[in-house]
Amino acid sequence: MGANDDAVRYSRHLLLPEIGTAGQARLAAARVLIVGAGGLGSPAALYLAAAGVGRLGLIDGDRVDLSNLQRQVLYSTPLIGTAKVTAARERLLALNPGIEVIAHESELRAANAREVLADYDIVIDGSDRLGTRYLVNDACVLLGKSLISAAIHRFEGQAMSYVPGRGPCYRCLFSDSSEGLVPNCAEAGVLGVLPGVMGCLQATEAIKLITGVGEPLLGRLLTYDALDLRFREFRFARRVDCAVCGERPSITTLADAPAACTPADLPGLRIYSPAELRARLSDRQTGAPLLVDVREAHEFAAGHLADSLHLPLAELEFRHSELPADREVVFICRSGARSLRACQIAAGQGLTRLGNLAGGLAAWAESLTQTS
Amino acid sequence: MLARMAHSVHVPSPLRSYTGGASRVSAEGASLRALLADLDARHRGLRFRMIDEQDRIRRHIRIFVNAREAQSIDEALQAADEVHLVCALSGG
Repeated sequence: MGANDDAVRYSRHLLLPEIGTAGQARLAAARVLIVGAGGLGSPAALYLAAAGVGRLGLIDGDRVDLSNLQRQVLYSTPLIGTAKVTAARERLLALNPGIEVIAHESELRAANAREVLADYDIVIDGSDRLGTRYLVNDACVLLGKSLISAAIHRFEGQAMSYVPGRGPCYRCLFSDSSEGLVPNCAEAGVLGVLPGVMGCLQATEAIKLITGVGEPLLGRLLTYDALDLRFREFRFARRVDCAVCGERPSITTLADAPAACTPADLPGLRIYSPAELRARLSDRQTGAPLLVDVREAHEFAAGHLADSLHLPLAELEFRHSELPADREVVFICRSGARSLRACQIAAGQGLTRLGNLAGGLAAWAESLTQTS
Repeated sequence: MLARMAHSVHVPSPLRSYTGGASRVSAEGASLRALLADLDARHRGLRFRMIDEQDRIRRHIRIFVNAREAQSIDEALQAADEVHLVCALSGG
Protein backbone atom coordinates (compact mmCIF):
# COMPACT_ATOMS: atom_id res chain seq x y z
CA MET A 1 0.00 0.00 0.00
CA GLY A 2 1.52 3.29 -1.06
CA ALA A 3 1.98 6.58 0.68
CA ASN A 4 -0.94 7.98 -1.24
CA ASP A 5 -3.26 5.31 0.08
CA ASP A 6 -2.08 6.04 3.62
CA ALA A 7 -2.83 9.71 3.11
CA VAL A 8 -6.39 8.73 2.32
CA ARG A 9 -6.72 5.96 4.94
CA TYR A 10 -5.52 8.22 7.77
CA SER A 11 -6.89 11.49 6.36
CA ARG A 12 -9.20 12.12 9.33
CA HIS A 13 -6.24 11.79 11.69
CA LEU A 14 -4.07 13.95 9.46
CA LEU A 15 -6.70 16.67 9.64
CA LEU A 16 -6.31 16.83 13.42
CA PRO A 17 -3.46 19.24 14.25
CA GLU A 18 -2.88 17.27 17.49
CA ILE A 19 -2.01 14.18 15.43
CA GLY A 20 -1.14 15.23 11.87
CA THR A 21 1.71 13.69 9.88
CA ALA A 22 4.08 13.52 12.85
CA GLY A 23 1.52 11.79 15.08
CA GLN A 24 0.57 9.34 12.36
CA ALA A 25 4.27 8.52 11.88
CA ARG A 26 4.52 7.86 15.63
CA LEU A 27 1.54 5.51 15.41
CA ALA A 28 3.20 3.66 12.52
CA ALA A 29 6.36 3.25 14.61
CA ALA A 30 4.46 2.17 17.75
CA ARG A 31 4.57 -1.35 19.20
CA VAL A 32 1.57 -2.33 21.32
CA LEU A 33 0.88 -5.69 22.98
CA ILE A 34 -2.67 -6.65 23.94
CA VAL A 35 -2.87 -9.26 26.71
CA GLY A 36 -6.12 -11.16 26.30
CA ALA A 37 -7.97 -11.14 22.96
CA GLY A 38 -11.39 -11.11 24.62
CA GLY A 39 -14.02 -8.51 25.44
CA LEU A 40 -11.56 -5.67 26.11
CA GLY A 41 -8.91 -6.79 23.64
CA SER A 42 -11.37 -6.97 20.72
CA PRO A 43 -12.33 -3.29 20.44
CA ALA A 44 -8.87 -2.15 21.52
CA ALA A 45 -7.23 -4.22 18.76
CA LEU A 46 -9.73 -3.15 16.09
CA TYR A 47 -9.30 0.57 16.79
CA LEU A 48 -5.52 0.40 17.12
CA ALA A 49 -5.26 -1.53 13.85
CA ALA A 50 -7.55 1.01 12.20
CA ALA A 51 -5.45 3.83 13.64
CA GLY A 52 -2.34 2.41 12.00
CA VAL A 53 -0.34 1.19 15.00
CA GLY A 54 2.64 -0.34 13.23
CA ARG A 55 3.10 -3.46 15.31
CA LEU A 56 0.20 -4.97 17.16
CA GLY A 57 0.72 -8.11 19.24
CA LEU A 58 -2.00 -10.27 20.77
CA ILE A 59 -1.38 -12.91 23.37
CA ASP A 60 -4.11 -15.39 24.29
CA GLY A 61 -4.23 -19.18 24.48
CA ASP A 62 -8.01 -19.57 24.08
CA ARG A 63 -10.15 -20.64 21.15
CA VAL A 64 -13.28 -18.83 19.98
CA ASP A 65 -16.34 -20.10 21.84
CA LEU A 66 -19.99 -19.40 21.06
CA SER A 67 -20.39 -17.68 24.45
CA ASN A 68 -17.67 -15.16 23.45
CA LEU A 69 -19.62 -13.69 20.55
CA GLN A 70 -21.98 -11.63 22.73
CA ARG A 71 -19.09 -9.16 23.31
CA GLN A 72 -15.85 -10.23 21.58
CA VAL A 73 -16.45 -8.38 18.32
CA LEU A 74 -13.23 -9.52 16.67
CA TYR A 75 -14.83 -12.89 15.93
CA SER A 76 -17.73 -14.26 13.95
CA THR A 77 -19.79 -17.42 14.16
CA PRO A 78 -17.90 -19.48 11.51
CA LEU A 79 -14.69 -19.02 13.54
CA ILE A 80 -15.89 -20.96 16.60
CA GLY A 81 -13.14 -23.37 17.58
CA THR A 82 -10.35 -21.34 15.90
CA ALA A 83 -7.44 -20.04 17.98
CA LYS A 84 -8.42 -16.50 18.98
CA VAL A 85 -5.12 -14.89 18.07
CA THR A 86 -5.11 -16.53 14.62
CA ALA A 87 -8.68 -15.39 13.93
CA ALA A 88 -7.88 -11.93 15.28
CA ARG A 89 -4.78 -11.57 13.13
CA GLU A 90 -6.74 -12.31 9.96
CA ARG A 91 -9.48 -9.87 10.90
CA LEU A 92 -7.05 -7.08 11.79
CA LEU A 93 -4.96 -7.52 8.63
CA ALA A 94 -8.14 -7.45 6.54
CA LEU A 95 -8.97 -4.15 8.24
CA ASN A 96 -5.47 -2.73 7.74
CA PRO A 97 -2.95 -4.68 5.63
CA GLY A 98 -0.34 -1.98 6.20
CA ILE A 99 0.41 -3.01 9.79
CA GLU A 100 2.18 -5.98 11.36
CA VAL A 101 0.06 -8.22 13.59
CA ILE A 102 1.82 -10.80 15.74
CA ALA A 103 -0.18 -13.69 17.18
CA HIS A 104 1.20 -15.19 20.41
CA GLU A 105 -0.90 -18.30 20.95
CA SER A 106 -0.27 -18.91 24.64
CA GLU A 107 -1.13 -17.57 28.05
CA LEU A 108 1.14 -14.89 29.47
CA ARG A 109 3.28 -16.53 32.17
CA ALA A 110 6.25 -15.52 34.25
CA ALA A 111 8.37 -17.80 32.06
CA ASN A 112 7.50 -16.07 28.77
CA ALA A 113 6.56 -12.53 29.86
CA ARG A 114 10.05 -11.03 29.53
CA GLU A 115 10.51 -12.45 26.03
CA VAL A 116 7.03 -11.51 24.80
CA LEU A 117 7.06 -7.96 26.20
CA ALA A 118 10.56 -7.26 24.86
CA ASP A 119 9.22 -6.36 21.40
CA TYR A 120 6.63 -3.85 22.62
CA ASP A 121 6.55 -0.42 24.30
CA ILE A 122 2.94 -0.29 25.50
CA VAL A 123 0.92 -3.12 27.03
CA ILE A 124 -2.88 -3.17 27.12
CA ASP A 125 -4.22 -5.45 29.83
CA GLY A 126 -7.47 -7.09 28.81
CA SER A 127 -6.94 -10.31 30.72
CA ASP A 128 -9.65 -11.99 32.74
CA ARG A 129 -7.66 -13.28 35.70
CA LEU A 130 -6.33 -11.29 38.62
CA GLY A 131 -3.13 -13.36 38.62
CA THR A 132 -2.42 -12.26 35.04
CA ARG A 133 -3.22 -8.64 35.93
CA TYR A 134 -0.53 -8.63 38.63
CA LEU A 135 1.92 -10.43 36.33
CA VAL A 136 1.33 -7.86 33.56
CA ASN A 137 1.74 -4.98 36.00
CA ASP A 138 4.92 -6.37 37.54
CA ALA A 139 6.40 -7.11 34.11
CA CYS A 140 5.65 -3.56 32.94
CA VAL A 141 7.24 -2.04 36.04
CA LEU A 142 10.33 -4.28 35.93
CA LEU A 143 10.82 -3.93 32.15
CA GLY A 144 9.94 -0.23 31.94
CA LYS A 145 6.85 -0.56 29.72
CA SER A 146 3.73 1.57 29.79
CA LEU A 147 0.54 -0.20 30.88
CA ILE A 148 -3.07 0.58 30.10
CA SER A 149 -5.27 -1.52 32.36
CA ALA A 150 -9.02 -2.05 32.34
CA ALA A 151 -11.34 -4.57 33.97
CA ILE A 152 -15.05 -5.28 33.93
CA HIS A 153 -17.75 -6.91 36.05
CA ARG A 154 -21.46 -7.13 35.20
CA PHE A 155 -22.34 -3.46 34.43
CA GLU A 156 -19.21 -1.82 35.86
CA GLY A 157 -15.77 -1.08 34.43
CA GLN A 158 -12.57 0.52 35.66
CA ALA A 159 -9.43 1.76 33.94
CA MET A 160 -6.03 3.25 34.80
CA SER A 161 -2.72 3.84 33.05
CA TYR A 162 0.85 3.48 34.23
CA VAL A 163 3.91 5.08 32.67
CA PRO A 164 7.31 4.27 34.22
CA GLY A 165 8.52 7.07 36.43
CA ARG A 166 5.35 9.13 36.00
CA GLY A 167 2.89 7.72 38.52
CA PRO A 168 1.53 4.83 40.54
CA CYS A 169 1.20 1.27 39.23
CA TYR A 170 -1.70 -1.19 39.51
CA ARG A 171 -0.25 -2.63 42.73
CA CYS A 172 -0.23 0.88 44.24
CA LEU A 173 -3.99 0.85 43.65
CA PHE A 174 -4.85 -2.72 44.66
CA SER A 175 -1.81 -4.14 46.41
CA ASP A 176 -3.00 -7.72 46.40
CA SER A 177 -6.01 -9.88 45.89
CA SER A 178 -7.01 -13.44 45.30
CA GLU A 179 -9.29 -14.98 42.74
CA GLY A 180 -11.85 -16.14 45.30
CA LEU A 181 -12.55 -12.59 46.44
CA VAL A 182 -13.22 -11.15 43.00
CA PRO A 183 -15.60 -13.02 40.70
CA ASN A 184 -14.89 -13.04 36.96
CA CYS A 185 -17.23 -12.63 33.98
CA ALA A 186 -17.83 -16.37 33.60
CA GLU A 187 -19.11 -16.47 37.18
CA ALA A 188 -20.92 -13.14 37.34
CA GLY A 189 -21.98 -12.30 33.79
CA VAL A 190 -21.25 -9.10 31.91
CA LEU A 191 -23.19 -6.67 29.73
CA GLY A 192 -21.82 -7.35 26.24
CA VAL A 193 -21.27 -3.72 25.28
CA LEU A 194 -19.45 -2.88 28.56
CA PRO A 195 -16.01 -4.15 27.42
CA GLY A 196 -16.65 -2.26 24.19
CA VAL A 197 -16.69 1.01 26.14
CA MET A 198 -13.71 0.11 28.31
CA GLY A 199 -11.62 -1.38 25.48
CA CYS A 200 -12.18 1.77 23.42
CA LEU A 201 -10.96 3.83 26.37
CA GLN A 202 -7.82 1.68 26.42
CA ALA A 203 -7.28 2.28 22.69
CA THR A 204 -7.79 6.01 23.27
CA GLU A 205 -5.16 6.01 26.00
CA ALA A 206 -2.71 4.09 23.80
CA ILE A 207 -3.10 6.58 20.94
CA LYS A 208 -2.61 9.48 23.38
CA LEU A 209 0.52 7.95 24.90
CA ILE A 210 1.96 7.21 21.44
CA THR A 211 1.27 10.64 19.99
CA GLY A 212 1.91 12.55 23.22
CA VAL A 213 -1.38 14.43 23.16
CA GLY A 214 -3.80 15.00 26.02
CA GLU A 215 -3.71 14.00 29.64
CA PRO A 216 -3.22 10.28 30.30
CA LEU A 217 -5.04 8.43 33.07
CA LEU A 218 -2.04 8.46 35.43
CA GLY A 219 -2.74 8.32 39.16
CA ARG A 220 -6.43 8.35 38.36
CA LEU A 221 -8.82 5.43 38.51
CA LEU A 222 -11.72 5.88 36.11
CA THR A 223 -14.85 3.94 36.95
CA TYR A 224 -17.83 3.49 34.67
CA ASP A 225 -21.29 2.39 35.76
CA ALA A 226 -23.34 1.47 32.71
CA LEU A 227 -26.62 1.30 34.67
CA ASP A 228 -26.27 4.88 35.94
CA LEU A 229 -24.36 5.87 32.78
CA ARG A 230 -21.88 7.63 34.98
CA PHE A 231 -18.11 7.96 34.93
CA ARG A 232 -16.24 8.77 38.14
CA GLU A 233 -12.62 9.52 38.78
CA PHE A 234 -10.61 8.78 41.91
CA ARG A 235 -7.07 10.00 42.44
CA PHE A 236 -4.52 7.68 44.00
CA ALA A 237 -0.83 8.13 44.68
CA ARG A 238 2.25 5.99 44.27
CA ARG A 239 2.91 3.99 47.43
CA VAL A 240 6.45 4.20 48.72
CA ASP A 241 5.87 0.72 50.17
CA CYS A 242 4.55 -0.72 46.87
CA ALA A 243 5.89 -4.25 46.50
CA VAL A 244 7.03 -3.68 42.93
CA CYS A 245 7.47 0.07 42.23
CA GLY A 246 8.13 1.23 45.81
CA GLU A 247 11.36 2.33 47.48
CA ARG A 248 12.30 -1.16 48.67
CA PRO A 249 10.52 -3.55 46.31
CA SER A 250 10.05 -7.17 47.38
CA ILE A 251 9.10 -8.19 43.84
CA THR A 252 12.24 -8.08 41.70
CA THR A 253 11.60 -11.07 39.45
CA LEU A 254 8.45 -12.25 37.75
CA ALA A 255 6.38 -15.02 39.29
CA ASP A 256 3.09 -16.65 38.40
CA ALA A 257 0.20 -16.38 40.82
CA PRO A 258 -0.04 -19.49 42.99
CA ALA A 259 -1.50 -22.26 40.88
CA ALA A 260 -5.11 -23.15 41.41
CA CYS A 261 -5.57 -25.93 43.91
CA THR A 262 -5.96 -29.46 42.54
CA PRO A 263 -7.63 -32.39 44.30
CA ALA A 264 -4.19 -34.03 44.59
CA ASP A 265 -3.14 -31.22 46.95
CA LEU A 266 -5.71 -32.35 49.50
CA PRO A 267 -5.19 -35.95 50.59
CA GLY A 268 -8.36 -37.45 51.99
CA LEU A 269 -10.61 -35.12 50.02
CA ARG A 270 -13.58 -36.99 48.61
CA ILE A 271 -14.52 -36.03 45.05
CA TYR A 272 -18.17 -36.66 44.24
CA SER A 273 -19.69 -37.02 40.81
CA PRO A 274 -23.31 -35.81 40.76
CA ALA A 275 -24.54 -39.43 40.83
CA GLU A 276 -22.26 -40.30 43.76
CA LEU A 277 -23.42 -37.29 45.73
CA ARG A 278 -27.08 -38.11 45.08
CA ALA A 279 -26.45 -41.66 46.33
CA ARG A 280 -24.61 -40.33 49.38
CA LEU A 281 -27.44 -37.93 50.23
CA SER A 282 -30.03 -40.68 50.06
CA ASP A 283 -28.00 -43.12 52.17
CA ARG A 284 -29.75 -42.94 55.54
CA GLN A 285 -27.30 -45.35 57.20
CA THR A 286 -24.25 -43.10 57.31
CA GLY A 287 -25.84 -39.70 57.97
CA ALA A 288 -26.01 -37.06 55.26
CA PRO A 289 -23.12 -34.66 54.80
CA LEU A 290 -23.62 -30.91 55.21
CA LEU A 291 -23.85 -29.27 51.79
CA VAL A 292 -22.20 -25.85 51.71
CA ASP A 293 -22.86 -23.67 48.68
CA VAL A 294 -20.00 -21.16 48.27
CA ARG A 295 -21.45 -19.12 45.40
CA GLU A 296 -22.39 -15.43 45.65
CA ALA A 297 -25.77 -14.48 47.12
CA HIS A 298 -27.40 -13.67 43.77
CA GLU A 299 -26.30 -17.05 42.37
CA PHE A 300 -27.64 -18.85 45.43
CA ALA A 301 -30.92 -16.94 45.23
CA ALA A 302 -31.36 -18.03 41.62
CA GLY A 303 -31.45 -21.67 42.68
CA HIS A 304 -29.73 -24.10 45.06
CA LEU A 305 -29.88 -27.63 46.37
CA ALA A 306 -32.31 -28.33 49.20
CA ASP A 307 -30.86 -28.10 52.72
CA SER A 308 -27.62 -26.50 51.56
CA LEU A 309 -25.97 -23.89 53.75
CA HIS A 310 -25.03 -20.68 51.95
CA LEU A 311 -21.53 -19.43 52.78
CA PRO A 312 -19.88 -17.36 50.00
CA LEU A 313 -16.25 -18.30 49.33
CA ALA A 314 -15.08 -14.79 50.16
CA GLU A 315 -16.54 -15.12 53.67
CA LEU A 316 -15.29 -18.63 54.36
CA GLU A 317 -11.97 -17.59 55.88
CA PHE A 318 -13.84 -15.67 58.58
CA ARG A 319 -16.81 -17.98 59.04
CA HIS A 320 -15.16 -21.42 58.97
CA SER A 321 -16.10 -21.88 62.63
CA GLU A 322 -19.71 -22.32 61.47
CA LEU A 323 -18.71 -25.61 59.84
CA PRO A 324 -19.07 -28.80 61.89
CA ALA A 325 -15.87 -30.74 62.66
CA ASP A 326 -17.78 -33.97 63.35
CA ARG A 327 -19.72 -34.16 60.09
CA GLU A 328 -18.65 -34.44 56.50
CA VAL A 329 -18.85 -31.13 54.63
CA VAL A 330 -19.36 -31.14 50.86
CA PHE A 331 -18.71 -27.86 49.08
CA ILE A 332 -20.69 -26.87 46.01
CA CYS A 333 -20.36 -24.04 43.48
CA ARG A 334 -21.22 -23.39 39.85
CA SER A 335 -18.46 -25.39 38.16
CA GLY A 336 -16.35 -26.94 40.93
CA ALA A 337 -13.46 -24.46 41.03
CA ARG A 338 -14.55 -22.22 43.90
CA SER A 339 -15.71 -25.24 45.91
CA LEU A 340 -12.27 -26.81 45.52
CA ARG A 341 -10.71 -23.60 46.84
CA ALA A 342 -13.20 -23.81 49.73
CA CYS A 343 -11.96 -27.35 50.48
CA GLN A 344 -8.43 -25.96 50.57
CA ILE A 345 -9.40 -23.19 53.01
CA ALA A 346 -11.37 -25.60 55.23
CA ALA A 347 -8.48 -28.09 55.24
CA GLY A 348 -6.18 -25.25 56.27
CA GLN A 349 -8.48 -24.67 59.24
CA GLY A 350 -8.13 -28.26 60.37
CA LEU A 351 -11.32 -29.77 58.94
CA THR A 352 -10.68 -33.31 57.72
CA ARG A 353 -13.98 -34.71 56.46
CA LEU A 354 -14.29 -32.75 53.24
CA GLY A 355 -15.91 -33.37 49.88
CA ASN A 356 -16.25 -31.52 46.60
CA LEU A 357 -18.94 -31.80 43.93
CA ALA A 358 -16.88 -32.19 40.73
CA GLY A 359 -18.20 -30.00 37.93
CA GLY A 360 -20.42 -28.15 40.38
CA LEU A 361 -24.10 -27.44 39.92
CA ALA A 362 -23.60 -27.24 36.15
CA ALA A 363 -22.65 -30.94 36.12
CA TRP A 364 -25.44 -31.71 38.61
CA ALA A 365 -28.04 -30.09 36.30
CA GLU A 366 -26.61 -31.86 33.26
CA SER A 367 -26.74 -35.24 35.02
CA LEU A 368 -30.41 -34.66 35.81
CA THR A 369 -31.10 -33.92 32.15
CA GLN A 370 -29.32 -37.10 31.12
CA THR A 371 -31.18 -39.32 33.56
CA SER A 372 -34.62 -37.84 32.96
CA MET B 1 -27.83 16.15 70.93
CA LEU B 2 -25.91 15.44 67.76
CA ALA B 3 -27.85 15.39 64.54
CA ARG B 4 -27.76 12.05 62.77
CA MET B 5 -25.24 12.08 59.96
CA ALA B 6 -26.53 10.14 56.95
CA HIS B 7 -24.25 9.46 54.01
CA SER B 8 -24.74 8.17 50.54
CA VAL B 9 -22.60 5.06 50.01
CA HIS B 10 -21.76 3.84 46.50
CA VAL B 11 -21.46 0.07 46.36
CA PRO B 12 -19.27 -1.64 43.73
CA SER B 13 -20.78 -4.29 41.51
CA PRO B 14 -19.13 -7.33 43.19
CA LEU B 15 -20.60 -6.35 46.59
CA ARG B 16 -24.15 -5.56 45.47
CA SER B 17 -25.32 -9.03 46.39
CA TYR B 18 -25.26 -7.68 49.98
CA THR B 19 -27.43 -4.67 49.16
CA GLY B 20 -30.15 -6.41 47.19
CA GLY B 21 -28.56 -5.17 43.97
CA ALA B 22 -28.60 -1.49 45.01
CA SER B 23 -25.69 0.57 43.70
CA ARG B 24 -26.26 3.28 46.28
CA VAL B 25 -27.38 2.87 49.87
CA SER B 26 -27.62 5.12 52.90
CA ALA B 27 -25.73 4.69 56.17
CA GLU B 28 -25.05 6.83 59.21
CA GLY B 29 -21.91 7.66 61.15
CA ALA B 30 -19.57 10.47 62.11
CA SER B 31 -16.58 8.35 61.16
CA LEU B 32 -15.85 5.69 58.58
CA ARG B 33 -15.72 3.11 61.38
CA ALA B 34 -19.21 4.05 62.57
CA LEU B 35 -20.53 4.15 59.04
CA LEU B 36 -19.17 0.67 58.30
CA ALA B 37 -20.81 -0.67 61.47
CA ASP B 38 -24.13 0.85 60.45
CA LEU B 39 -23.69 -0.45 56.91
CA ASP B 40 -23.09 -3.95 58.26
CA ALA B 41 -26.16 -3.73 60.49
CA ARG B 42 -28.23 -2.88 57.43
CA HIS B 43 -26.45 -5.26 55.02
CA ARG B 44 -25.09 -8.15 57.08
CA GLY B 45 -21.68 -9.41 55.90
CA LEU B 46 -20.73 -6.39 53.81
CA ARG B 47 -18.07 -5.11 56.22
CA PHE B 48 -16.24 -8.45 56.20
CA ARG B 49 -15.72 -8.17 52.49
CA MET B 50 -13.93 -4.83 52.86
CA ILE B 51 -12.24 -4.78 56.26
CA ASP B 52 -9.99 -7.48 57.75
CA GLU B 53 -9.77 -8.73 61.35
CA GLN B 54 -7.19 -6.05 62.17
CA ASP B 55 -9.61 -3.34 60.98
CA ARG B 56 -7.48 -2.68 57.92
CA ILE B 57 -9.04 -1.95 54.54
CA ARG B 58 -8.57 -5.10 52.47
CA ARG B 59 -5.94 -4.92 49.78
CA HIS B 60 -8.32 -5.31 46.86
CA ILE B 61 -10.62 -2.59 48.21
CA ARG B 62 -10.25 1.18 48.22
CA ILE B 63 -12.54 3.54 50.07
CA PHE B 64 -12.92 7.12 48.89
CA VAL B 65 -14.67 9.88 50.79
CA ASN B 66 -15.90 12.11 47.98
CA ALA B 67 -12.82 11.95 45.73
CA ARG B 68 -10.29 11.65 48.59
CA GLU B 69 -8.86 8.28 49.48
CA ALA B 70 -9.37 7.07 53.05
CA GLN B 71 -6.19 5.63 54.55
CA SER B 72 -7.89 4.04 57.55
CA ILE B 73 -11.36 3.48 58.91
CA ASP B 74 -10.75 6.01 61.69
CA GLU B 75 -11.25 8.96 59.39
CA ALA B 76 -13.97 11.39 60.39
CA LEU B 77 -16.90 12.07 58.09
CA GLN B 78 -18.54 15.42 57.53
CA ALA B 79 -22.20 15.98 56.79
CA ALA B 80 -23.02 15.33 53.13
CA ASP B 81 -19.82 13.36 52.51
CA GLU B 82 -20.32 10.67 49.91
CA VAL B 83 -18.53 7.38 50.42
CA HIS B 84 -17.37 5.36 47.42
CA LEU B 85 -16.41 1.74 47.90
CA VAL B 86 -14.14 0.56 45.07
CA CYS B 87 -13.26 -3.08 44.47
CA ALA B 88 -10.67 -4.60 42.12
CA LEU B 89 -12.38 -6.19 39.13
CA SER B 90 -10.92 -9.11 37.23
CA GLY B 91 -13.04 -9.54 34.10
CA GLY B 92 -11.79 -8.88 30.62
